[in-house]
Amino acid sequence: MRKSVLFVLAVAVVLLAGFGAAAQDETVLVIGHTEQTDFYDPANGFTGTTSMVRRATYDTLVTFPDEDASEILPSLATSWSVSDDGLSYNFTLDDTPRFNNGDSVTAEDVAFSLLRLKYVNGNPSFLADNIDSAVANEDGTVTVTLSSVRPTFVTELANTAFSITNADVVRANGGTDSMDAAEMDGAAEYLNQNSAGTGPYQLESWAPQDETVLVRNPHFVGEAPYFDRILIVNIPEAATQKAALESGQIDIATDLTPDQIVELEGNADINIWSGPGQWNHFLIMNADPEIGGPVSDPKVWLAVRLAIDYEGFLELWPGSTTPGTVMNIFLAGAFQADRALSRDLDRSRALLAEAGYPDGFDIDLKYPDWNAFGVDMNINAQKIQADLAEAGINVNLAPGEFGVALEEYRLGNAGFGYWLWGPDINDPVDVLAFVPGGKVATERLRFTEERAPAEILELRDAVKKESDPVRRAELFEQIQLWLQESGNFAPFLYPPTQTALRSGINGYNWHPQWVMDVALISRDEM
Amino acid sequence: MPLQVFFLRRLLLTIPLLIGITLFSFIIANAVPSDPVSANIPQNAFDNEEIIAAFRAKWGLDKPPHEQYLTYLGNLLRGDLGVSIKTSKPVLEDIRQFLPATVELAGFAILIGMALGIGTGIVSAVWRNSIADYLTRGYVVIGVSFPIFVLALIGLNVLHVQWGIVAGPGRLDFIIRDPPAVTGLFMVDAAIAGQWDKFANAFSHIILPAFVLGSFVAGIIARITRSSMLEVLGMDYIRTARSHGLRERRVVIRHALSNAMIPIVTVIGLSTANLMTGAVLIESIFAWPGIGRYAFRAATSQDFPAIMGVSILIASIYVMVNFLVDILYYFLDPRIRVA
Repeated sequence: MRKSVLFVLAVAVVLLAGFGAAAQDETVLVIGHTEQTDFYDPANGFTGTTSMVRRATYDTLVTFPDEDASEILPSLATSWSVSDDGLSYNFTLDDTPRFNNGDSVTAEDVAFSLLRLKYVNGNPSFLADNIDSAVANEDGTVTVTLSSVRPTFVTELANTAFSITNADVVRANGGTDSMDAAEMDGAAEYLNQNSAGTGPYQLESWAPQDETVLVRNPHFVGEAPYFDRILIVNIPEAATQKAALESGQIDIATDLTPDQIVELEGNADINIWSGPGQWNHFLIMNADPEIGGPVSDPKVWLAVRLAIDYEGFLELWPGSTTPGTVMNIFLAGAFQADRALSRDLDRSRALLAEAGYPDGFDIDLKYPDWNAFGVDMNINAQKIQADLAEAGINVNLAPGEFGVALEEYRLGNAGFGYWLWGPDINDPVDVLAFVPGGKVATERLRFTEERAPAEILELRDAVKKESDPVRRAELFEQIQLWLQESGNFAPFLYPPTQTALRSGINGYNWHPQWVMDVALISRDEM
Repeated sequence: MPLQVFFLRRLLLTIPLLIGITLFSFIIANAVPSDPVSANIPQNAFDNEEIIAAFRAKWGLDKPPHEQYLTYLGNLLRGDLGVSIKTSKPVLEDIRQFLPATVELAGFAILIGMALGIGTGIVSAVWRNSIADYLTRGYVVIGVSFPIFVLALIGLNVLHVQWGIVAGPGRLDFIIRDPPAVTGLFMVDAAIAGQWDKFANAFSHIILPAFVLGSFVAGIIARITRSSMLEVLGMDYIRTARSHGLRERRVVIRHALSNAMIPIVTVIGLSTANLMTGAVLIESIFAWPGIGRYAFRAATSQDFPAIMGVSILIASIYVMVNFLVDILYYFLDPRIRVA
């Protein structure tokens, strides 16, 4: 009996001693990440992890700088021109890049990729709605014709959904760019497990909700990336990501909470990357009196904005900033914290009285019971409740399951609520979702064009057509001023993006379009 | 009743049960006041009628519920569980991917739970009201009531991060490639391939989550073992055995334990089924790519095919475990054979 116990103990010790044994000859980067992937197929996927993987495995016609989305740079297209009517774009292609099977990129590949995105009716296909035709010209250029003027078209092409795929390979695996692609295209399965692009890496495998593996693209033209292999490991629990990072099992943890970041600050083995995030947190107020009740009154909208203790939110979430408006702070021309509203309880109470609520009112605040990328929405809702109580508004918290709350919001049935927004298009035009006629203002919150003053509708129409950058910036400034004074949103918090890295990891940069570019990351040699 | 008849009767009873489960899961999944469209399509695409229509048509959501259900049943009979909305892979393939991780973990956990639970339960019954008994009873209360995720996080932070004596999250160190797939159980596959370093690595990864899960189960098993043993130890035939001068160990193991086994086997069976299907928290904390985590993700993203597939799987596991327990009863208790 005693001997067998000793034997078991001995085996256990041997096993535990051996757990660190397996050495690797290749350079491997391990990213601990909460996987958000619908598809890796460029025409079907539209989530964070998808963008990150597509950035590594494909190229787009144009792109953004490594750090931000401040300007448009050439990528597969070396130059482009727009016709006078603003409807037709001609792209000249770079002839050096090679797909991961060695093929060169042709105008035919470009036209195929754009049309397949449009017709497959996948999650990102709305981006290609406006494309009327994409034609490969005999001189090797591509002409894209739009059905209506869209000054943001080239900016949108930097979205990784517009990744250029190898048409022959995709066709050989069931892909099509024909108008019935929604029914006939069957390439998603192949493109979820393989890539057919020109990026520095290629997709080796994807076990959904478990692990994504990238390896070098053998035909990549350009500076070779540092790592041979990239592992993106799904670790949904932030506490687990932190433990795995501290023990060195992973090199990068993307989803730690602000508290965990603070805990790691003294750790010499870990560096924190901190920068502006992507998500704007705001209150929504329904413009339909039957749904919004008291919060359908424009005077109340401003009263609510003036009742929020913005400074208090910054203390609650270290590293955060106060958004100037609902326009995301990293978009060109967006109001930063210095132009944000400040708390003014006296004016807030006066506005409430003017609106006919001298003693305030009772209202439900509807929001998802959700941890939004490290920020617990419940905590913010409680602070909103306390802040508005000081102005006399008695808020009753009504959190709901995410899907249920989203459905109510989506159908325009939420009166007073709390949501967040990250831009789909990295262009200031994204803010038009929040002005009357826009997706959020009108469809979610019933601020219809009939209810809106003519002034904002004119501004909106003008900016949609404007392509002169200076004039455009002026118009967006006026729109933001209008939103601060008359919009039916109360933005109150813009949390930072914070990523924890093992020390020795260099080149990391959070990006609003593709989360991170793994090809830029390297490790100090030991 | 002969074993064959007993076996057949149990088997036939499972068919209506499984059909009932599919219907029940279908109704529940449809009753949720939220739409798979909002869970799976980006907000900006909500307004694009064509994208929404293509999504509904692709997943059969454009058909009336009864038609969806009948189509599902028809496919099910052909062994087709549909395609998951979230992973865009056949649900059966997903289950094949995620189930082995759970089976390996639950198997280890139940072994630990049985060893700890039955051992301490016997000690505490035999030496009733001794220090060992009090310690066991204290352990049972803590084991059952202590939040399992707290234990998991403490284990991860102390044993893995601080002391480095066990490996961290995942089934293997992330940089180590999986052993060649045969059973999907990494330790078994590594042993088959003779990759003993991977075997050791997998063992060091499974030991902590298995212990955390096992300690919870051990509490329940210890409690049942103790009370069942106490009851049996008070029986006349135990007194008779002792009066015949048998050694105490033989009295306890051969005469008492084997007669106390029925409730213990029941609890072990239920716990096994529970571990196989309900280890969501532990799987999340240890980044363990198992079926619990898959089920949770399916539920939160309204992934109907996956929800249905997992429900059927869970129901089948319970049915199978109950079936095995019944068969064990048959061997453990001669009275059942006669009844």
